[in-house]
Amino acid sequence: MIKKFDKKDEESGSGSNPFQHLEKSAVLQEARIFNETPINPRRCLHILTKIIYLLNQGEHFGTTEATEAFFAMTRLFQSNDQTLRRMCYLTIKEMANISEDVIIVTSSLTKDMTGKEDVYRGPAIRALCRITDTTMLQAIERYMKQAIVDKVPSVSSSALVSSLHMVKMSYDVVKRWVNEAQEAASSDNIMVQYHALGLLYHLRKNDRLAVSKMLNKFTKSGLKSPFAYCMLIRIASRLLEETEGGHDSPLFDFIESCLRNKHEMVVYEAASAIVHMPNCTARELAPAVSVLQLFCSSPKAALRYAAVRTLNKVAMKHPSAVTACNLDLENLITDSNRSIATLAITTLLKTGSESSVDRLMKQISSFVSEISDEFKVVVVQAISALCQKYPRKHSVMMNFLSNMLRDDGGFEYKRAIVDCIIGIIEENPESKETGLAHLCEFIEDCEHTVLATKILHLLGREGPRTPSPSKYIRFIFNRVVLESEAVRAAAVSALAKFGAQNDDLLPSVLVLMQRCMMDSDDEVRDRATFYMNVLQQKQKALNAAYIFNGLSVSIPGLEKSLHQYTLEPSEKPFDMKTVPLATTPITEQKTEMAPVASSKLPEKLAPSRQDIYQEQLAAIPEFQGLGPLFKSSEPVQLTEAETEYVVRCIKHTFANHMVFQFDCTNTLNDQLLQKVVVQMEPSEAYEVVQYVPAASLPYSQPGSCYCLVRLPEDDPTAVSCTFSCTMKYLVRDCDPNTGEPDDDGYDDEYVLEDLEVTVADHIQKVLKPNFAAAWEEVGDEFEKEETFALSSVRTLDEAVGNIISFLGMQPCERSDKVPENKNSHVLFLAGVFRGGHDVLVRSRLALADGVTMQVTVRSGEETVVDVILASVG
Amino acid sequence: MGLFDKLSLWLGLKKKEVNVLCLGLDNSGKTTIINQLKPSDSQAQDVVPTIGFSIEKFKTTSLSFTVFDMSGQGRYRNLWEHYYKEGQAIIFVIDSGDQLRMVVAKEELDTLLNHSDIMHRRIPILFFANKMDLRDAVSAVKVSQLLCLESIRDKPWHICASNAVKGEGLQEGVDWLQGTMAGLILLHQLLTHRDSVAVVISFALL
Ligand SMILES: Nc1nc2c(ncn2[C@@H]2O[C@H](COP(=O)(O)OP(=O)(O)O)[C@@H](O)[C@H]2O)c(=O)[nH]1
Ligand SMILES: [Mg+2]
Repeated sequence: MIKKFDKKDEESGSGSNPFQHLEKSAVLQEARIFNETPINPRRCLHILTKIIYLLNQGEHFGTTEATEAFFAMTRLFQSNDQTLRRMCYLTIKEMANISEDVIIVTSSLTKDMTGKEDVYRGPAIRALCRITDTTMLQAIERYMKQAIVDKVPSVSSSALVSSLHMVKMSYDVVKRWVNEAQEAASSDNIMVQYHALGLLYHLRKNDRLAVSKMLNKFTKSGLKSPFAYCMLIRIASRLLEETEGGHDSPLFDFIESCLRNKHEMVVYEAASAIVHMPNCTARELAPAVSVLQLFCSSPKAALRYAAVRTLNKVAMKHPSAVTACNLDLENLITDSNRSIATLAITTLLKTGSESSVDRLMKQISSFVSEISDEFKVVVVQAISALCQKYPRKHSVMMNFLSNMLRDDGGFEYKRAIVDCIIGIIEENPESKETGLAHLCEFIEDCEHTVLATKILHLLGREGPRTPSPSKYIRFIFNRVVLESEAVRAAAVSALAKFGAQNDDLLPSVLVLMQRCMMDSDDEVRDRATFYMNVLQQKQKALNAAYIFNGLSVSIPGLEKSLHQYTLEPSEKPFDMKTVPLATTPITEQKTEMAPVASSKLPEKLAPSRQDIYQEQLAAIPEFQGLGPLFKSSEPVQLTEAETEYVVRCIKHTFANHMVFQFDCTNTLNDQLLQKVVVQMEPSEAYEVVQYVPAASLPYSQPGSCYCLVRLPEDDPTAVSCTFSCTMKYLVRDCDPNTGEPDDDGYDDEYVLEDLEVTVADHIQKVLKPNFAAAWEEVGDEFEKEETFALSSVRTLDEAVGNIISFLGMQPCERSDKVPENKNSHVLFLAGVFRGGHDVLVRSRLALADGVTMQVTVRSGEETVVDVILASVG
Repeated sequence: MGLFDKLSLWLGLKKKEVNVLCLGLDNSGKTTIINQLKPSDSQAQDVVPTIGFSIEKFKTTSLSFTVFDMSGQGRYRNLWEHYYKEGQAIIFVIDSGDQLRMVVAKEELDTLLNHSDIMHRRIPILFFANKMDLRDAVSAVKVSQLLCLESIRDKPWHICASNAVKGEGLQEGVDWLQGTMAGLILLHQLLTHRDSVAVVISFALL
């Protein structure tokens, strides 16, 4: 975790930071003076500072050198210089995990923690707890118990907080200190009380009953410490949420009563807890909001900030409640604290009327350059929300965003803007060209590779289908000339799409491609050569398969299949159809605004849920030879909530088989289940081949059993089937306390809900970014068309939703979104049928009395077309 | 620096500081001994097994001792050597009642004496044959035989029987240590300060 300073820090820092050019080896050399007598506290202090500085810069210390420095440092305990001693504590804490034998200082620290010098005692406890592991904890237990109830607050607090840290490591030992913590909780010192409450809560947090007893006790007896009150409020609201307790619960009353506490901190905490609760009524919200409203005009900036930030967060959930504060928020627009002003404006943007948007945007542009990136992102998020609410405002927004894009700013900020623009383009087709133009301008001078490649990808997808595609070529080709490898490669891919879509651009694209083939980077050259060859064929089907709609397989799956293929030499060419498909379409991720904190980019392609299933199933001998896993369904619940046994099923589809995975949990603490199977009775010609039982199901430990079923070979259209399911097992009663089972057991069974297999289980979603090209590629050899009347659906939206979930196919070209006030709509669906055949569905919908639907299906395989139509009709 | 300050330094009015390592098996009474030697207002009420080490200080008439009271438990014994370099004297404590572990004590002593940081130094060693009050305690003479102390020829050493709980026998040992250390310090000054004043004053101090 080497901290990188950005340029600004570096410039202002040079000269003023005396530690800037420290050399670890030189510092360790200097540390030898720790061994000299008499000790020179000032010099030693300085060297310890350097060591701690280096450690905090992320400098790596080897075990040997760290241990040597550590032991040298232990000699400094000879000195009675207070500052030096406290620096030793810090060093011990920093080196606790890098040096060996750190327990050498245990007695020295216990001496300090029990000694007369109060300034030593607290820090010594904290250091001691850092070097103590579970095996050594017993040795200091007595001191810890004494320290927790010590009358010096800093000592007691240190002991409580250290105990809290040790709960993670040695829960059982720390649990024995509960009486001492209890005593500390009635301390007069506000910090001690707060820390004691924290420890008590953490010791009990997994036991809901104990937590609720504790809350009950403290809310009745009352506490002195406002910090402790804040904590109680948090615990209470968490408990309310977990137990789904109604607002008539005493916990809610307690939180509400805190709105009248004399400490502002407590009042704020209570208000914040209430407004964040799910499903609060307007009446319940009112007192909390009025408290926040009051804070909005407080002379204390911290209170104004807290209030406006909270209102900002809940603005979308409770717009009407927040509107009540509009006047107060308006006053904050001109607050001298820019953070407060920004939050006020963005809150108003979220709740305000369409007419106020222009005014507010003008306000905010007057100072947007003065606020920090973090708040700029808040502004962008507000704009993004606004665009969804008032689509007609997109031109104002787009303008504003493009100005922001030109400003200085870090990656997060720029990414937020780009995502927002892309979002607007996707929602509003008429804004596409303006948006693309702004993005083109942006990539002319963009230092962020990730953003440049993202925009190039978008240009490749959208640019060729605009009225004048040629104007984008220049921006894209500039990238090939000017940028890094990754960006050049993305630019080449984008160019190829223009050549594939637009015949009149093809000759010039080929010329540019030729130039890219001389690039210095392998990847860029490879791509150019590949596209050059595909484009020169001038075949629509090739373009569709290799340029518009890339690979739809799972990348880790492809890697594994290829590896397997190289292990077993064979005459047959590698068959792409044997590679599992990607389950989450890679390009269709919604451009949601990620919260700033969690916006780390994934470094590696993580295996999908299906890749994990594939691996798990492959490890079961009975399922070898089924071929690659084609599809895994979402879990289906086969029991009601809160029954004795909880069972859910995941349907795994293979080329000719299905494997049903039953995840079972036994919620009875006086039973051990063994040899658990779920027996399945099919309604159709599905053949149950084998059961794989779960050997044992102890109380509350989930386990899985499986059933392997062969799909009917002679009738490929039999895609749906109902199974009645019964769980069968051997019960062994056991002692609920020890879990010790009786010697013998008895057979028993439990009836589960029926399980349905439908057409969706045989189709995997695949996104075709360019549906028209894919439609051409598959061709009309096996095209079939039928018209249906859907009498029971009332709206186009409803019809679209039903078709998608029934067929389990991927909507393309954003056709799952029905524009408002339209009477007709076309839905494009793409997928792959079990066995690897592409299947495409075009569904024209018209709204009259009910909905009329004309379905056109294309596939390279006739039975697939029949299956789809048969299951719709 | 004024003349007086300088002179007072030279005269040794500020007590000379000496670093002492207190070694020996666990439970032999090291911590109890050191605790007894400390000024009564800073003595600990009860003695608990040492984990790692602890630094204690006490003064005699002419010297100021800083003691590294090491833990004698097996897992810590190999950590003693980290502190050998700056030890100027050693107090080695033996539980005279623990005949069973006398060989272990001898082994640790031999390892100590053969350590490169100790071997070639004229470092004084004070042995306490502690817990002499126990019924099955062996005499100091017997202890020195069992540990083959006679074979130590290049280091000044001394053994005395003690009862740390009552504080008996400790003074004799410490007197010996102080005398020996003072002698060594003088020798050191003779060798390093050719300045005759220093020599004269040092003699006077003896
Ligand atoms: N009877 C007796 N007990 C002693 C004597 N010296 C120490 N002890 C006890 O021996 C135990 C260990 O003492 P301690 O100083 O902790 O030994 P250390 O491990 O060498 O530091 C304690 O219970 C002391 O009270 C002694 O001279 N006589
Ligand atoms: Mg001890």
